[in-house]
Amino acid sequence: MIVIRVGELADHLGVHRNTVRNWINGGKLPARQMAGKRYLITENDFARLCREFGIDRSSLKLKYLPGSPVMSREMTCQEKDVAEIGGRSARLLPDADWGDACVTCGSCAGACPISGVDGMDPRKAIRMAVLGREEDLIASQWPWKCTLCGKCEEVCPMNVEIVAFLRRVRGLRDRKKVPGSLQKGVLMCLEKGNNLGIPREDFIALLQEMGREMRDEGYPDFEVPIDRPGANLLVTLNSKEAFAEPAAMKSWWKIFSAAGESWTLPSQCWEGVNWGLYTGDDEAMKGIVGNLVANMVRLGCRTLLLPE
Amino acid sequence: MSRWFQEEAKHFKVISVIDLLVDYLQKGRIRVDSSRHPELTTYHDPCNYGRNSLKAFGQGYFEEPRWIVRQCAPQFVDMFPDREGSYCCGAGGGIWATPFKEERVYHGRLKARQLKQSRARWVITSCHNCRDQIVSSLCKEYDLDLGVKYLWELVADSLVTGPAVS
Ligand code: SF4
Ligand code: SF4
Repeated sequence: MIVIRVGELADHLGVHRNTVRNWINGGKLPARQMAGKRYLITENDFARLCREFGIDRSSLKLKYLPGSPVMSREMTCQEKDVAEIGGRSARLLPDADWGDACVTCGSCAGACPISGVDGMDPRKAIRMAVLGREEDLIASQWPWKCTLCGKCEEVCPMNVEIVAFLRRVRGLRDRKKVPGSLQKGVLMCLEKGNNLGIPREDFIALLQEMGREMRDEGYPDFEVPIDRPGANLLVTLNSKEAFAEPAAMKSWWKIFSAAGESWTLPSQCWEGVNWGLYTGDDEAMKGIVGNLVANMVRLGCRTLLLPE
Repeated sequence: MSRWFQEEAKHFKVISVIDLLVDYLQKGRIRVDSSRHPELTTYHDPCNYGRNSLKAFGQGYFEEPRWIVRQCAPQFVDMFPDREGSYCCGAGGGIWATPFKEERVYHGRLKARQLKQSRARWVITSCHNCRDQIVSSLCKEYDLDLGVKYLWELVADSLVTGPAVS
């Protein structure tokens, strides 16, 4: 058993004390509370935490409870985990800027905010592809924990296209295994025209309700222009706006009113956030963009406004 | 879009919310009052408007949003690093729709530290993911004492013309 202090561990990870407490309360980090803000965790749980967040154990002052072995079984068995290497397949080859240019300098791993999570970092991901461990890479959750933020790419001296590469890795995963609700959102958007599958009638009712609020807020002539042919600007939304915070749309409506803009919101296929980008699925992305284009043609608008 | 729908795309143009706001302000189609946001304000560069747009389209939106923010909130401060070196809020890449909450919050620790060090009272951003991450995760998990607004929310709240009542 190991004794930790929430504050020390949080400082070490650069997170807030509350975050560590949330992990403990939520069961992510099973721990037993002791006196004086200290917690007791098992060797195995601690080893797992270190692996997940890339913590260097030797840099932490740890207190072991008497009688517990310092080396855990978990740590020794890592050594047996020597991977087979194979050739690189054509699936991750299409771009020479993915991997072949990499000089393994590690700059990307240094810049990535989630290096160490799951024992991974961008350089390792590239190496796995180059050394033919691509099945492991595709099966790994790490490329989905990456936010495609591009910090890694920005520092790469060889201009390796790490973000495009990781997106490609996502795209190679069996669609049934895409994490969370991303794939569902993509299918929903292709079928119903928005990521959350909000029906057309509900959407129109919501817009009318918001329109009433606008009139109460000092825009007496306001009407939401739904499907107005010939409007200059076609506005798209993030389905979260319609679902979780419709009032936020009013900011835009006030700006349009002030600017005297001729605008419209389509009653269908108004989703402007393309999750195909995140699932690495170009075909789906194209289908979703196609729906927007169809709207533009149907209503004869001249400008398409994307929500973010 | 122009890659897939060349023919149709000839008939219209695609713009971002930042393009539109800059256009309105520059042409004087809307006017803003800079006295309503006197507190120190900073801007968070969303990865997709900044760094990733720079890479994909050869143009990143770095100065335009800052210009808009300054029109509304003249007391402006930048975080460090910013622009193409900005830290991600932690919620990009569709991670909101995945179960990886702990990783999302962990990733955001660097942004939270930057925000705290900026001493700003407001942070403005132009991305829904970023805004939600800062409001509902970073502010709570890292005890940040600041407000978050969308860029267009800031502009709407600063509008001079508009409702007859104001
Ligand atoms: S920064 Fe570029 S060259 Fe260096 S290890 Fe990463 S991908 Fe390879
Ligand atoms: S894009 Fe992914 S791998 Fe690169 S720095 Fe961001 S989180 Fe890390």
